[in-house]
Amino acid sequence: MSHPEHVAPDQEHEGQYDVHTHISSVGFYVFILTTLMILTLLTVGVSYIHLGRLNLVVAVVIASIKASLVITFFMHLKYDNKFNAMILVVSLLFIGVFFAYVMNDTEHRAEIDNDQGGRISGSTGAAAPGGMEHHVVAPAGSAPAAGDHAAPAGDHAAPAPAPAPAPHH
Amino acid sequence: MSSADAADDHGHDHPKFLQHQFDTPAQQFEAAKIGMWAFLGQELLFFSGLFVAYGIFRSWYPEMFSMASHQLNRPMGAANTIVLLFSSLTAALAVRSAQTGNKAATSRFLLITIGCAFIFLIVKYFEYVHKFEAGLLPAHYFHPHADHLVPGTTIPENGGSFFAIYFMMTGVHGIHVLVGIGVMIWIWRRNERGDFSAKYFTPVDLVALYWHLVDLVWIYLFPLLYLID
Repeated sequence: MSHPEHVAPDQEHEGQYDVHTHISSVGFYVFILTTLMILTLLTVGVSYIHLGRLNLVVAVVIASIKASLVITFFMHLKYDNKFNAMILVVSLLFIGVFFAYVMNDTEHRAEIDNDQGGRISGSTGAAAPGGMEHHVVAPAGSAPAAGDHAAPAGDHAAPAPAPAPAPHH
Repeated sequence: MSSADAADDHGHDHPKFLQHQFDTPAQQFEAAKIGMWAFLGQELLFFSGLFVAYGIFRSWYPEMFSMASHQLNRPMGAANTIVLLFSSLTAALAVRSAQTGNKAATSRFLLITIGCAFIFLIVKYFEYVHKFEAGLLPAHYFHPHADHLVPGTTIPENGGSFFAIYFMMTGVHGIHVLVGIGVMIWIWRRNERGDFSAKYFTPVDLVALYWHLVDLVWIYLFPLLYLID
């Protein structure tokens, strides 16, 4: 079988077609690992400080710094073809879209308020337009699925003076 | 892959590792890397479903997540984090050794990385056994035994949601660790056989990329599951 189209790299140009990559020093890799370890200690330490909802933000920010170090240097993305970086960025973008749409739904889905007979937002207690129809408005104390959603959602946010949903639907 | 290595029988002076469809080693390398990054992008999207589930349930039941999280063993989680970060370093050094044509060092670093992967799974095994004994299991299998819980703690009835997410996330991650061990053993054998050189180290590079992804996922899992205030 012959391949007339294929031009093999000839001897005098040897090296021209070879793979050229950036090679970091061992010391640099060890430095990156040290930084990752320090950030790990930091994230463990911060978790013992009570910052409320900010704890989650801090944990995710530190994790993202660690992830960036791994991606940039251990995975050589800094020295790679920029197309590979684009694949990563686009993936992250779509994960963001996924999160935004789903959380927007689950955070603001309306609940049926027993007392008012209307829809209220689970997290604020305010009147909510639209939302999902619940098939059954369960009597007090016997609605594991629907009741569980409303109760914790009400007490974690609790910013508004609006009437919170009854603890047990 | 390896069948192409021996198929250089058409008279050109192609390097043995250069497959027919590529013009140059550099082109072959770039193509392989793009393919790997597309796969890694897919992996991130695949894991993102679990992270979104985590986000929904944590936002719905913040107190339950906090209480359930206290049942996890922080020292073990932290130890596994350190083991995985260290194995990421050795995976990067395996690639570096391959780039510089140091076959013995490549093998050594691959074996250290594989060793770290086993340590990770052994620690995970002890964690899982404790969860099984304590009845801290997913959804309707959840039946916590008060005497197995961390002293002075309680756990709400709906804690099974947390453990469903815990076992799915760490379980799928653990499967990735297992797959990583298998692939790294294969690459180690190919390295021992002399398949790689400073001019051709793509498979070592790609398996290290995969291993770094396994590390990346754990970087998020550790604080999100173990370190809830």
